[in-house]
Amino acid sequence: MIGLTPERITEELQHFHAKLTQGAKTLRDLGEIETGVSPRDPVYQEDKLTLYRYQPRVEQPHPVPLLIVYALVNRPYMMDLQEDRSMIRGLLDAGLDIYLIDWGYPDANDRRLNLADYIQRYIHHCVDYLRERHGLDAINLLGVCQGGALSLCFAALYPEKIRNLITMVTPVDFHTPDNVLTHLIRYVDVDLLVDTLGNLPGQMLNFAFVSLSPFRLAGQKYVDVMDILDDAQVLKNFLRMEKWIYDSPDQAGEAFRQFAKDFFQQNKLIKGEVIIGDQRVDLRNVIMPVLNVYASQDHLVPPAASKALAEICGSQDYSELSFKGGHIGIYVSARSQREVPPAIAAWLLAR
Amino acid sequence: MAERTDPPDPSGFNVELLLKQARTYLAFGEQLQPLGVRFHETLEQEGDWNTALRQYFDAIKIALAQATDDPGSHPELAQLWTVTLDTWQQAIASLGFPASIASLAGSNAEAWQAYQRAQTQYLGLLRQAAKDALDLMEQRLTAQATGATVASLRALYNLWVECNEETYGRMLRSAEYGEFSGRLLNTLLRCHPAGETKP
Repeated sequence: MIGLTPERITEELQHFHAKLTQGAKTLRDLGEIETGVSPRDPVYQEDKLTLYRYQPRVEQPHPVPLLIVYALVNRPYMMDLQEDRSMIRGLLDAGLDIYLIDWGYPDANDRRLNLADYIQRYIHHCVDYLRERHGLDAINLLGVCQGGALSLCFAALYPEKIRNLITMVTPVDFHTPDNVLTHLIRYVDVDLLVDTLGNLPGQMLNFAFVSLSPFRLAGQKYVDVMDILDDAQVLKNFLRMEKWIYDSPDQAGEAFRQFAKDFFQQNKLIKGEVIIGDQRVDLRNVIMPVLNVYASQDHLVPPAASKALAEICGSQDYSELSFKGGHIGIYVSARSQREVPPAIAAWLLAR
Repeated sequence: MAERTDPPDPSGFNVELLLKQARTYLAFGEQLQPLGVRFHETLEQEGDWNTALRQYFDAIKIALAQATDDPGSHPELAQLWTVTLDTWQQAIASLGFPASIASLAGSNAEAWQAYQRAQTQYLGLLRQAAKDALDLMEQRLTAQATGATVASLRALYNLWVECNEETYGRMLRSAEYGEFSGRLLNTLLRCHPAGETKP
């Protein structure tokens, strides 16, 4: 029932207006919004890629390093957003030695970079660098979202170099009925897109993500900000997330072309038909222990899209970790901080 | 090794986004205010809650339809449901097209017309989802008639968002939407001035 009176509406509008006016001052005074809180050092660079080592938080970190391969979409500081929302901090606290690939921001010079460049050159060089640095035949690999798909390809092509593989919110079957991203890209002429634009502008990806839930993401969210405008700390937390959401690097044209066509449109990964360079990716070659972490309420990578890995990979030691939350919550929610890094560390330390 | 500095982040928080939605919310409230007066008058005169509610929503629909047909008359109110199209227009600006892609009409008329048709189809889907949301909102309020009370403008706005997300979500997953949104992008790309494709 509507118990709303015209007087109440007037009162609310006046209150809202006053908060907006006061909030403008808070916003002005906030200063820079910092992201990426854990100390780290660059240890390897190639083109726009930087490989970072996070400073260990225990005296004797685990001897096998864990390399994190983030997606090409968005920026990897989501893994280390703030002190109390940092998956990387949790992994460091659990005694792991963490490295992360930062892909940088592709520009026009990178439009011809393809998936072979990313997998057989960049990831491969980072893996070899770490193998040499640590004197090991194989290291641990953690792939996140699209980075998980790239990591699966790498692990299938070079299984001897990966000791344990963790995939996190990683699509494997791109044609599950609930995959809305596949639904949106199904009719897009990807060749026309890349031939016309070169690189795919990050803002196009922003549109795609916002268009999944526009009334909340482009409307209600900003109305709700009014409730936190007088709390600088909470507002900073909001702005950190906001910064990450819209910090979308352009996508190197050829890599996007192949990922969009082969993975999304033609679902070649699960069919064993993806070709990287001149090598076919057969997920049955993923024979190392695998931990597949997915989010049960993921609206971007549905659980079924991730869980398909169970049937197709060749590992005899395959485990799943279901996180009760969404695609973003798995990185930053309080529940995630409590559950996910300790579970990953325990799984790794047992192997 | 010195840590390389990332390029300046061009996408820090956009206060304009906040202000735009604040203005939209204010417009939502200002639009509902006189309708709310009429709702209470009808309720007092007729004593029939369902009749009053129906008239209330008919009035909202008319107001939104006016904002749809002539966005210039209520630009901020129109923003309520054209938020997707608005985001699309912002994305277009990043594609290297002229600020007003209408200027392409003369140079590539056929492609331009195809894009216009695709945009009309796309807008039609959005409009229908927005109208369905109002029907859903009406159903929800009717179902709540003897129960919970929507006692604030914010609660009504949140209900409006919830209903729009639901009907929009259904539309988004429809085969039509996938086809129309793909066509929207493909026809736009074909408007790109000939010969300017990347070598």
